[in-house]
Amino acid sequence: VAADTATAGRERQDLEPSAAKRLSGWLRGYRPIQGIPDELFDRMGRPRADWLSFLGDFAEYPEREFKSRFDLATRHIRDTGVTYRIYGEDGERSWPLNPLPLILNQKEWKQIAEGVEQRANLIEALLQDVYGDASLVADGSLPAAALTGSVDFIQAMRGVKPRGGRYLQLYAADLGRGPDGRWWVLDDRTQAPSGAGYALENRLVLSRAYPNLYNAMNVERLASFFDGFRKGLAAAADRADPRICLLTPGPFSETYFEQAHLARYLGFLLVEGDDLVARDGRVYVRTIAGLKRADVIYRRVDADFIDPLELNSASQLGTPSMLDAIRAGGVAMLNMPGSGLAESKALLGFMPKLCRRLLGEELKMPNVATWWCGQPVERELVERNLDVLAIAPAFNGPAQDGAASRPRLVADLSPEEQAALRARLTDRPGDFVGQEVVQLSTMPVLRAGKLEAAPFVLRVYAAWTPDGMRIMPGGFCRTSERLDVRAISMGEDACTADVWVIDDKPVERMTLLASKEDVKVRRIMGHLPSRAADNLFWLGRYSERAEATLRLARSLCTSLMDSESAIHGAGETLTGLQQLLIDWGALDEEALGGGALEAARDALHDQTAYGSVIYLVRAARRTAASMRERLSADFWSLLNQLEKELTEGAQSPLSEAEALQQVESALQILAALSGLAQENMNRVAGWRFLDMGRRIERGVNTCRLARTFAHDAATTDDLDLLLDLADSQITYRARYLVGLALTPVRDMVLLDPFNTRSLAFQVHTLRDHLAVLPSLQADGMLEEPNRVLLPLATEVETAEAGALSAARMQGFERTLLRLSGAVADRYFLQGANAVPTVKLAGLA
Amino acid sequence: VIYSLRHRTTYRYEEAVTFARCVLRLTPRGSDTQTVLKSSITVTPRPSSVKEGRGPFGETTQTVVIDKPHEVLVIEANSRIDVHAKPTGDPLDSEPWEAVRAAAYKTSLLGPDGPAPFLYPTRRTPVEPAITAYARESFPAGKPIIAAAADLMTRIRSDFSYDPEATTVSTPTLEAFEARHGVCQDFAHVMISGLRGLGLPAAYVSGYLRTIPPPGKPRLQGADATHAWVSVWCGQARSWVGFDPTNAIMAGDDHIVLAIGRDYSDVAPIDGIILAPGVQTLKVEVDVIPQNVQREPDVRRPGSVGGGVRA
Repeated sequence: VAADTATAGRERQDLEPSAAKRLSGWLRGYRPIQGIPDELFDRMGRPRADWLSFLGDFAEYPEREFKSRFDLATRHIRDTGVTYRIYGEDGERSWPLNPLPLILNQKEWKQIAEGVEQRANLIEALLQDVYGDASLVADGSLPAAALTGSVDFIQAMRGVKPRGGRYLQLYAADLGRGPDGRWWVLDDRTQAPSGAGYALENRLVLSRAYPNLYNAMNVERLASFFDGFRKGLAAAADRADPRICLLTPGPFSETYFEQAHLARYLGFLLVEGDDLVARDGRVYVRTIAGLKRADVIYRRVDADFIDPLELNSASQLGTPSMLDAIRAGGVAMLNMPGSGLAESKALLGFMPKLCRRLLGEELKMPNVATWWCGQPVERELVERNLDVLAIAPAFNGPAQDGAASRPRLVADLSPEEQAALRARLTDRPGDFVGQEVVQLSTMPVLRAGKLEAAPFVLRVYAAWTPDGMRIMPGGFCRTSERLDVRAISMGEDACTADVWVIDDKPVERMTLLASKEDVKVRRIMGHLPSRAADNLFWLGRYSERAEATLRLARSLCTSLMDSESAIHGAGETLTGLQQLLIDWGALDEEALGGGALEAARDALHDQTAYGSVIYLVRAARRTAASMRERLSADFWSLLNQLEKELTEGAQSPLSEAEALQQVESALQILAALSGLAQENMNRVAGWRFLDMGRRIERGVNTCRLARTFAHDAATTDDLDLLLDLADSQITYRARYLVGLALTPVRDMVLLDPFNTRSLAFQVHTLRDHLAVLPSLQADGMLEEPNRVLLPLATEVETAEAGALSAARMQGFERTLLRLSGAVADRYFLQGANAVPTVKLAGLA
Repeated sequence: VIYSLRHRTTYRYEEAVTFARCVLRLTPRGSDTQTVLKSSITVTPRPSSVKEGRGPFGETTQTVVIDKPHEVLVIEANSRIDVHAKPTGDPLDSEPWEAVRAAAYKTSLLGPDGPAPFLYPTRRTPVEPAITAYARESFPAGKPIIAAAADLMTRIRSDFSYDPEATTVSTPTLEAFEARHGVCQDFAHVMISGLRGLGLPAAYVSGYLRTIPPPGKPRLQGADATHAWVSVWCGQARSWVGFDPTNAIMAGDDHIVLAIGRDYSDVAPIDGIILAPGVQTLKVEVDVIPQNVQREPDVRRPGSVGGGVRA
């Protein structure tokens, strides 16, 4: 083998000597496992043509350039993308991507695609039968008990005709290549297959990292698959231009980012159970313009959780009476609730027989040999061969005790566990399957500049489209860190790889751009869901409060560095500033009278203070994270950058100059964010809510500042500081040559409609926003937010700066807070006085 | 026996509830052992919509929406039922329990009449090694299923203390089992967990039990209660047989079936979602009045602890 691989590097005569050297180094160092098929080397130990072509070109990138390209592309996509992340206290974890794709040639791919397509059709037919007349059970092809153990066998769905006629919109199969070189189905994914979004992301990284290579190799594109997927969903609706929703379990789901990414890529509305209302056999989305019909729901929530009234009553993720609407045909939900049934391992052993019975064909791609122990003969066989088989739970169900939650080799169990297993097998044989232990093939991964063999599992997707079943030409590939080729040992430590299907001829380029005749010009965007409005509003409020707090911190810093500064040293003004930070929750009560630098540091970095800048920025980021599909990549990466800078700044105590620099930089990022919102966000309802949040917050803060620094006994220091904080120094100096005086400062900060920082300006802008937002009042009467705002607008317009008492300023502030509540009540999912939904309980 | 039934549930809320959506499973189930002569449900305040449907285990359901603010919600079900239970027969004249298990796994019935839906653990009836071990003592090899299940039922009746204060509607079954106390719901769940642990199909039955006032005392209005017991699939020939572990009696003419499911969650008489800020209190009144019968009670009181029938 060594001799063969050594010559392999020279098979590419066209390479530069340095590239040829690197290539042969890689190939010589590559060590597949004896007797296990490998993707790079064939049985004779020779590299396969497509791989050689890829690796040769790949070797031509100078080491450093390759690394920087790949890192850059990865970082960019990861920062803005959909990577598997777990949101936690310590940030997020991402799933490493192998720089090498899995390369499959046409011949190989045809075999896979045909096998997966047949299997998707087989499972569709199986579900049609089980939830239809159940003839498979009646004629003995399938024992009833092989179905009822699954939590996804939903009695309530029997006899229900799915709207659109299908159970499966998206099916995925986990495949491995067996020792004989054939592909095997390890598992079926029929509930709500995940990973297609990662496949898209991985493709984006690789195609950006080495575009030439990608284009030269005729890699089949993914876009047309997703286009078909979208059309397939739309076809299930009973009207043209249907509203398609992606039902997500929410930001705490480990695949939330993938769902958000797919929703954006496919143009679906991302909704949670709370966003939907099921009534009178239909489903509606709560939007700021009232209830709007949802035609199709692409489900990413496990079926058991979609309707707390009929199914799992503990679910917080569902919509009451959802099943009713599905039964009534008022909404198409795909995959149909109940489809998850086909993931039961109990069914694997029946598949060859079912394929003949349902499709009249032999299975094209075998699945792992599996025996359901609910049958006496199979159970005996498993018990006799317990030492060499893997044992797995037959069903995904609740309350399966810990006997075996994943497939395990019996040989790996402790003697006590083995005894417990044998007892369980006697008492409840139907809970288990025995499986042949499958060995996976290996593919090369790049680790520390070397090629290493890693076992892998390939997930392939099939979608129903109006033109029939389509297979995604590519997939989601996971490689194991460990060199244990038993399929069952694929663990949490996996890496991912892109999957390149190489076409023999040049591929057609295609994006999700619609064809000309499909598109009507429209100037309104779809109705904004209430939840999104809520999140945008709070994003606006958090970022504005962060900005205000930063300005306070900046004044603290400059007071130490600039002897001309208004609050140099100590005094009333400094105390006022610190008191404000305490009131806003950025500082502890004890901090009063302490050093200005400590106060500035705490206000920036104290992670436990709910008003500190870092806390506010994190809150903003969390809010933004739960509506990723609505924010641009630029917006998102700026927000990430801001959090990163603040987190790093918190690591070590800063000097005055460093603290000031941090504040300035943070202010710049916030300015960039609001610039993006102002210039790059579509002027539809979403932008208005973001801006309303910002305006209300700024109005409240300005009143607060004016009360503190422009009261009737304010000093010049106070007024000077106020102009700083309200960012109005330049405007003031330009207009008033007389120097600082109370009345003009107050007027400028509060009442001047031309000063974009004044209260008056905020109130005017708010009035414009409310005027444009939809009304629910059919009788033409004013809605509550306007009832609150309009009197304030008049009052601010007619007020005189000289006579403004502290009490009136406080009145303005209160009215704005009341407005915030009224906006929440009117537009958001749950109003400001929201009450949690509680369950009726009690043994009645 | 013909019964007149009244089941009245009153919810009182501290603050007004603006919206409620409930599923009611309060219409007794018709079957070959009981005929529903009349059944009606009234809800106050008047619901904005009522939709009748059929639940997955054959129960009649009403889905009710109330969208006006209310502080009191009253749900009253009235019905007349003719119960004509079959005699249980000789417990020894039934299949060995292992044969029943094998038959259950082989069944070609997918629906709720067959054993298949009742073979597997649920959230409220998990398979717990401790409970399985407890049940196993009643199931020596080859014992006829009805005799074995009756033995388990009797052991639960004598080993567990009846204590309405000890458990709530959401107490986990294992907890009630370990403390050996609870009410009908807990006893039924324990028995079901034990049977399923042995691979036997068992169902949760919600319903009512006729009670007999102490000698010489009149029946008290609303003094009866809802009840729960266990139905065990005893093989093709004997099919479903009812066991009441709370009273250690076979289900008979005194047991009126409301609904059958895998555990309490499937049959909760009222299940719902409300929008409410405050605390709720709940009152349940049940009257089970036999109509045309003058006979001695069929209910035995083994041990007669405190007397009376337990629910």
